[in-house]
Amino acid sequence: MNIFLIILGKLIIKISQLFNLGSGSTWPGHIALILNYKFIENVIDENKNLKIIVIAGTNGKTTSTALLKFLLEKSGKKVFTNNEGANLLNGVASSIIKNSSIFSKLKFDFAIFESDELNLPLLLNKISPDKVLILNLFRDQLDRYGEVNTIVLRWLESLKTLSYKTEVFVNGDDPQLYYIGTKLSQKVQYFGIEKKLMKLKDIPNDVDSIYCPVCLSMLKYHRLSYAHLGDFYCSKCDFKRFGKLVSDFSNIKINYPMSGLYNVYNTNAILLLLESLNVIPAEAGIQNKWLSEFSPAFGRQEEFIYKKRKIFILLSKNPAGFNQSIQTVSEMTKNKKSNFLIILNNRIPDGLDVSWIWDVDFQPIFDVANNVYVSGDRVYDLNLRLKYEGYKNTINVYEKLNDAIEKIVEEIKVGERIFILPTYSAMLEVRKILLGRKLL
Amino acid sequence: MTINIGWLYPDLMNTYGDRGNIIALSYRLEKMGIKSIVNKISVNEPADLILTMDILFMGGAQDKQQEIVNLDLKNKGSFLKKAINDGVPGLYVCGAYQFLGKYYKTADGTMIDGLGVFDLYTESPGLNVPRCIGNIVIESKLFPEIKLVGFENHGGRTYLADKKLAFATVVYGYGNNGEDKTEGIFYKNSFGTYLHGPILPKNPEIADYLIEKALERKYRNIGAERNRPLKKIDNQWEEKARSWVINKL
Repeated sequence: MNIFLIILGKLIIKISQLFNLGSGSTWPGHIALILNYKFIENVIDENKNLKIIVIAGTNGKTTSTALLKFLLEKSGKKVFTNNEGANLLNGVASSIIKNSSIFSKLKFDFAIFESDELNLPLLLNKISPDKVLILNLFRDQLDRYGEVNTIVLRWLESLKTLSYKTEVFVNGDDPQLYYIGTKLSQKVQYFGIEKKLMKLKDIPNDVDSIYCPVCLSMLKYHRLSYAHLGDFYCSKCDFKRFGKLVSDFSNIKINYPMSGLYNVYNTNAILLLLESLNVIPAEAGIQNKWLSEFSPAFGRQEEFIYKKRKIFILLSKNPAGFNQSIQTVSEMTKNKKSNFLIILNNRIPDGLDVSWIWDVDFQPIFDVANNVYVSGDRVYDLNLRLKYEGYKNTINVYEKLNDAIEKIVEEIKVGERIFILPTYSAMLEVRKILLGRKLL
Repeated sequence: MTINIGWLYPDLMNTYGDRGNIIALSYRLEKMGIKSIVNKISVNEPADLILTMDILFMGGAQDKQQEIVNLDLKNKGSFLKKAINDGVPGLYVCGAYQFLGKYYKTADGTMIDGLGVFDLYTESPGLNVPRCIGNIVIESKLFPEIKLVGFENHGGRTYLADKKLAFATVVYGYGNNGEDKTEGIFYKNSFGTYLHGPILPKNPEIADYLIEKALERKYRNIGAERNRPLKKIDNQWEEKARSWVINKL
């Protein structure tokens, strides 16, 4: 049966690539799972030596997966992953089809599967990974994923059922995830960032988890990094972040390959996970050398030269992620005036509801903006949002993304920088326009 | 002139971008040349602060957060009830709207008492029945000749004691319960509604209505102020955002 499914799947991949219908990263798996619901666990069972790592969280999955793959390959390991964006069960199954021999053999050392919020319990129900990494949890697409508290409960129940051999890595600066860690009987490791990087003064608007998961009292923070992440403690009970448990890598110097606090978290998470795998050679400086060679996954601080203009794309798909993009842009511009194209779509991968833009603080963009352009399916919602934030200058509104990009390139001088902040489907569209071809 | 905006439980009842309603009120007041102060009223603030407010707003929340608010309302509830009955203009969205009814019956049959200000009750249809999620378009007699738009995302179904109490009629979407075409409630100067979006930026008529009522109440004894018409604000972008959504449905 599985031989047939794998051959069929590989055929579909070939055909879709041949006719430029995309890379075939979901359909083959979709069909395999319909014909054999246990396809994933069947094939994985045939490959006892394959180590499996599952990465979940609201933001940073793709970047972290790419970084881990890169570092593992640098150390000589063979790795496959599910394609970015294909982080549902059908994406996992497709990646297996693509990388397996027709006799279900996966000649790899590691499989890294990124999973979205809803699919994590479904995936863990099928396979028992060696490592599970949970990066963070923010409000995202409430119309699709549901509320943050509901997700925490589902994840906890699901993680509890895993084998005692599975090692779990969670963000120790995130109160809800820290709480999950304390409730598991498996080995749990916590990652975080060093306290001197936690500089936020007030609890921001994009928080979800500032109430104690144990006693429901309000949490307090010695220090805050961003959103609800930080050095937290409960004002009533004894729930708190035990600094000693959280690996923040403050004792070593790390060459972070990307800007932004969120990427410090992603990198620290991967370094902690790698320590447990014991694959990086002890040679001095090798880790930093490799880190400096890493280039980000597409759409994540990706840099383009397009018609002699320097363009940076920073995927911005939910309040916490958007605020981090804005923070990063402020650091990158260092008050030098820049140009912005913000794109708001509301297709299935973006979430239909756009109300989340009202939880984003746009002011720091205005401080460094020369010109602001907006586009996307919900361009007028975005325009209104910026207007109500108090942007005094003209906002250039374009219903069609093509027109927006054409105009911005025409009007911005050669050598000036353009920052593009798109939602997910908008990011794919932008890349298609800039590169002239389809990517997923 | 100064308008005090009371934002109830901003740290707990603020899940769906509802902060945009506060931004909209402040923005429009500023454009009208009226000073406004946003007062956050949460668990740690005294209950009687509610009675000094000119406009009240409370948004939606997650279940756990609602538990915390429910506990706190045992103390603040009577003050909020008095303010609403006295005619303090207010907007209560989703979770807040449900709170102000008689009760909420959860999926497992548990009865959670509401404040009982609004003559309605809410029931969960059970865990296997889908939530009401999507864009929503409504019409209200309070705002004739226009359609109002928002985004709804709620599990509970709300039933009014009398359909005449409804704030609006559903043109597209679910509204109170997906059955009787009613949406929200209008009671004294308060709106209860399921509309996120957030509701006020794209429907500035409602924001201006709340502001107008607040000014009327606060300055009713000052003739010159009472008779001064509200400064008109150019709403072309608000209308464009609204019609753009409606035309896409």
